[in-house]
Formats: sequence, structure tokens, C-alpha cells
Amino acid sequence: MKKEIIKFYSKYRLYIFPAIVSLSSLFLIVFAIYPQTMKLIAGQKSTEKLINRSKLLDIKVAALENLNDKDLSRKVELVLNALPPEKDFGNTFALLQQLVIQPGFSMTSITVSNSSAKVGNSDSFDVKLELKGPRILLSTILNNLDNSPRLIRVKSIDVSSNQGQQNVDVALALQVLYAALPQNYGMIDSPLPELSQNDEGLISTLESIKRTIPATAESPRGKSNPFE
Amino acid sequence: MKISINLLPPEDIALAIQRAKFYKIQLIGIIIILTMIFLTSLTVALRILQGRSMAPVQTKVVAAEQRVSDLKSTQGYLMLLKDRLKVIDQYLGVSSKQSLVYQLMDKLIPPSVIINAISINQAGVVTFVAIVPDSISLDNLLSNLTDQESNDGQIREVSVESLNRGRDGFYRISFKIKSEIL
Repeated sequence: MKKEIIKFYSKYRLYIFPAIVSLSSLFLIVFAIYPQTMKLIAGQKSTEKLINRSKLLDIKVAALENLNDKDLSRKVELVLNALPPEKDFGNTFALLQQLVIQPGFSMTSITVSNSSAKVGNSDSFDVKLELKGPRILLSTILNNLDNSPRLIRVKSIDVSSNQGQQNVDVALALQVLYAALPQNYGMIDSPLPELSQNDEGLISTLESIKRTIPATAESPRGKSNPFE
Repeated sequence: MKISINLLPPEDIALAIQRAKFYKIQLIGIIIILTMIFLTSLTVALRILQGRSMAPVQTKVVAAEQRVSDLKSTQGYLMLLKDRLKVIDQYLGVSSKQSLVYQLMDKLIPPSVIINAISINQAGVVTFVAIVPDSISLDNLLSNLTDQESNDGQIREVSVESLNRGRDGFYRISFKIKSEIL
């Protein structure tokens, strides 16, 4: 049998040897060289990605570490005063009273609606104010409301007066804004937002408004640290 | 001159040619196989080296991830701050349209006109009831409300609902005004 095989091989070795070489090469290419090369290319790409990610994370860590925690907390407190996560009726009443009394008006009634409505991406609840005071100062109240440290929109204005009297009765329908805290505070890879000049300007404006209305300098209700 | 005479029988010559041909094929085949083995070893070695060089980068990334996780609350504060500022920017210091309309009316109504009632509803319609002491004031009021130069083109429509003149000589007038602001 062995002799027969050797005889067969000797007779057809010109064809059998190249066939064996071709098949072996093909086997190596298909099962070793090609997959390993593909893995090598993919590995190279993922290494580059990892290096880039590492650089980005380092930059992010540096940026986060450079932030002043106290300053950030103060800014967050300011913006949460302006747009709290809850309705916060107590502070709203105190603020409205301040905004109305400051220019010389008196508040005869305040009605709060418990229902919520959407204003843009925020929620709001309705407040109806009935006021009495000099008509000439109504513009100041409206200006105060538009520049209030808590976001308030004027929905409707009703002014009535008796003939010859300087004082007017005013009914203001207001929308007081609030917004739930965002559900997502960013993933590890999410880019860090930067505070623009406009943002810093807004914070300064909120600070200066807060200084002019000291009674509203309370911290917002709810959790002291919303991330806990 | 070199003369070569092959005295071998033709079968042996054919066999020798076949053998020489096979050796050539064998040599080429071995070269191919060795090349394939070399390429296989090279790719495997490169893969191993790549895996080793990746490990420190991975460790660095894991460490950076941990540091970001430790600063998660700072990131959260910053995200919250930015999110809130986006909304605050839309409304802070931006007058409500109703306030703007009221201020416009305040500017257009002459001081001699006594306002009985002024109402600006959510739909933007201003209802206005006033007492005007004389015809000059009435003229002024109407021209202010209707003249585009006086009202800066901010009034779209003025409808006089009623106009009476009382025994006291005062005009009682009520308007409906639609503003361009709303």
C-alpha cells in the first residue's frame, strides 16, 4: 500500500506538490493571516480611540478640577432661585409681595392656581394678583415682574379706576415658571458645557437683581444637593 | 567551439527534465510556504505587541474615568447650571408682550385722558375705556393710536366700540386695539 502511494506520488508529484502548497497557503491566509491582519487594523483603530478618549478625559478632569466648587454652588443656587425645580409657593408669595410693595402698590388679594401649564420647555402655575396703587407706577411693577429674580411672565393686565382718582385697581394674571431637574447629568464621556460670556452676564444680572430684592435671598426649597 | 552531445537514452532525458522541473516547483513551493509562515508569525507577533501596548492606555483611561466619576457632582452642577441658564436667557429681562403693550398704551394716551379701564388679554386684544375732556384730546388720542409715526407701526387695528358725549361735555369712548407686538 505504502509503495503504491509512493509510486502514485512519484507519478503525479508535479501536480500534487503545487496543490498541497496552494491549499496550505490558502489555509494560512484564510484562517491566520487575514483574520489577524483585520484584528490588527481594528486594534490600531481602537488604540487610537482609547488614546483620544484618554486625552479628552484628562482635559475634562482638568477642567472639572479647575472649577471653584463654592463659586459653582453659588451660581447653581442663583439659577435655582430663578427657576426652581418645584412650585415653591412660599418664596413666590414673598417675592411677589416685595415686587409689588416696593413701587408703592398694595396687594388686595393673591390667588394661586394649582394646575400646571407648559411655557416652552418649562412648567408654570398661574397666580392672579389684585393690586391697588397709583397708575403711574404700574409700569414699574410690570418692569419688576419682567426682571424678577424668579422667572415670571405677565399673562394679562386689567386696570380699572374711578374717575378723578389717581389710584387704580389692577388685576394681573401671571405665570410663574419652574422646571423639574434634568434626569441626565451627563455621562462620563459627555462633553463638559462651558459658560459663555452671555451666561456669565446672566449670572451677574441675577446677582444684581438679588441684591435689590433682599427678601428673596432664601435658598430654594427641596434637596440641598439634587445629585444625592 | 564547444560541442555537446547527449548520449543518454531519450527516456532518461525526459526523466531528467521532469526531475529538474519538479525541483524548481519544489523550491518555489517551499519559498511560498515559508513566506506564509513568516507572515502568519509576523501578524500574530504584532497582535501580541499591540495587546501589550494597549494595556497601559486602557489602565490610563480607567483611571481617568474614575477621576471623572469622582467629580460627577461637579459635572452635574455644571450641567444643571447650563440647562437652567438656557431657559433663564429666554425670559430674564425680556418683557412680556402684555407689558410691552401696556407700556405702548401708556405712551400713546395723552395725560388729559382719564382711563376708566384698560384690559390686555392673553390673545392680545386691548380693551380700553376712557373719558376724554375735550375734542382736542380726543383728536390727539385717535391720531396717536392710528398714526403709524406716533405708534411706530406697532398698532395693527383700532376699533371704536362706542363714543358718547355727555352733558358735562366729556367724551366717553371705548376701543378695541390689536397690537403688532402680540
